[in-house]
Amino acid sequence: MASAAKESQELARLLFKASFDHGALTSDRVSGVLEYVEKHHPNRATAVLKAYARLVAAEEARGHAIVEHAGEMPANALQSLADTLGRRYGRKVSATARPNPDLIAGVRVRIGDDIFESSVAAQLADLAASV
Amino acid sequence: MSTVLEQIEQQIAKLSHKAVKKNTGVIRTVADGVAKIDGLSDVMYNEMVQFPGGAIGIALNLEEDEVGCVVLGDVSQLKEGDEVSTTGKLLSVPVGEALLGRAVDALGRPVDGKGPIEAKETYPVEKIAPGIIVRKSVTQPLFTGIMAIDSMIPIGRGQRELIIGDRGTGKTTIAIDTIINQAKINKVGLASQDPKFRPVYSIYVAIGQKNSNIVRTMSALEAAGALEFTVIVAAAAADNPANQYLAPYSGAAMGEWFMENGKDALIVYDDLSKHAVAYRQISLILKRPSGREAYPGDVFYLHSRLLERSARLDGKGSLTALPIIETLAGDVSAYIPTNVISITDGQIFLETDLFNQGIRPAVSVGLSVSRVGSSAQIKATKQVGGKLKGELAQFRELAAFAQFGSDLDAKTKAQLDRGSRIVELFKQPAFNPVPIEQQVATLWALQKGYYDSLEIRHVTPAAVSLREFFATRKDSLLTKIRTKAALDAEIEGELKTAADEWKATFKA
Repeated sequence: MASAAKESQELARLLFKASFDHGALTSDRVSGVLEYVEKHHPNRATAVLKAYARLVAAEEARGHAIVEHAGEMPANALQSLADTLGRRYGRKVSATARPNPDLIAGVRVRIGDDIFESSVAAQLADLAASV
Repeated sequence: MSTVLEQIEQQIAKLSHKAVKKNTGVIRTVADGVAKIDGLSDVMYNEMVQFPGGAIGIALNLEEDEVGCVVLGDVSQLKEGDEVSTTGKLLSVPVGEALLGRAVDALGRPVDGKGPIEAKETYPVEKIAPGIIVRKSVTQPLFTGIMAIDSMIPIGRGQRELIIGDRGTGKTTIAIDTIINQAKINKVGLASQDPKFRPVYSIYVAIGQKNSNIVRTMSALEAAGALEFTVIVAAAAADNPANQYLAPYSGAAMGEWFMENGKDALIVYDDLSKHAVAYRQISLILKRPSGREAYPGDVFYLHSRLLERSARLDGKGSLTALPIIETLAGDVSAYIPTNVISITDGQIFLETDLFNQGIRPAVSVGLSVSRVGSSAQIKATKQVGGKLKGELAQFRELAAFAQFGSDLDAKTKAQLDRGSRIVELFKQPAFNPVPIEQQVATLWALQKGYYDSLEIRHVTPAAVSLREFFATRKDSLLTKIRTKAALDAEIEGELKTAADEWKATFKA
């Protein structure tokens, strides 16, 4: 059972590696992979596709920043933030703004597994925890 | 009110305006106290991770696409999809003198209802043991107050001495007696205001024990006035295996604080068999490969890295460890017992047969050994008890043959008679440690034949009476033995006069 799950994971990883073209995930390659799975129907295809989807989603998230903000977020500030993150992570990063009044003031940027927190709500939460 | 406002302002000023980076992940599964997490790509091995609802976990398995964390706390509130974040901190516990007299859990949080602990420092739970250069050999004694141990299997400060035996043979009692004796010595030493006196602080780590047993131990320590010099780390049987796995390391961190700050400490791990079982449980749930008896491959390292943290440091203090191992049917060659025997600097083996015969502490002289303690033994004990171990071992051998009856020669009879007297002399009730100077007086009387004329059944009461006589009427002589730590002609003369005086008054 455990080894079957491991095999599915291994195959998903191979398919994931095959989805890259010149170091970037491309929709063409992903379509190709999906076609391959449909045609050859490997063992535990659902598990393989689920694991593959997880890997692709994680990769997508690494190249896309979600910027939650309270108050105004000018387009040039968003672009500047995306550029800064791009330099930091060494890859092309796009950014989407998402208003969140619960932050009170400031921003929270989520990219991949990382969160950059610079909101008043988070600072108040820290203060409440430390008092 | 203004002070409260000032405090809040100071706190606000402390808050950084810089963005704080957190690495996050998402719970994929939670089962048996272990959470499998997607993400957490920057997590460190053994790093604390924050679960929603305040529970914390430790990252133990860092795999390619998931992280296995043991959850320390309530897992019932966690569900698939919950966000988990790294803390950037390795698991640490509060340390220092503020913990003395307190009972804490594996994370150093108080469990005794005596309010919060005002500890100024924290130490990481996992730490690399001191290296070769900073260590010093064991030369200072650590008296257990148990005559059979102090005279035949002496323990030194910084030593690791295993207490091993079947269930119900008095393993915990030996450890508790030792803690009580340290407290007694501390009280006398601190009252004497001797600048050279070094108190020994104790840490008792209860792993997988019943809560009732832990309470009983605490009560025994409190009744003996030893709790004020002791920290109790409790990971009871009802706690999850992660807490039971961590408790000894937390205790070691607390002990290391004393050692690093030039103080001496004693740590009791009660017991490491249950610790190995808790670790096996975690490892199996984490799907780590299992080996002999389903223990994971690193079960030796589990105990070696823990016990290696006990040491005597050059220019600093020491940490003495008394790990306890429970055997099944006296089998010392089982997996975990042999592992711990090979790590420690000796073992005190307790036998069920001896215990049932009423010989308590049921120390088996043949199987017990102290590899480094003899250099820590004081000269006075060596002078009066140097040959006891050999004599007692010979007695046990002869006693086995003597069972077959037949005529015995005078020499054998004399050896059997003497052996029986030594056995009687070493009988000692629980929680009643004997100060070293009284041990010396008792054994000196044995050496000089003061018990030879008595019936064997009267030897134990005679020794008790002798100690009472010395404690009440010859206190100055006892102080002299304690401070000189050796018997010279003058002390021996005084001992003779006192013992003759006692003999004249003693009636069996």
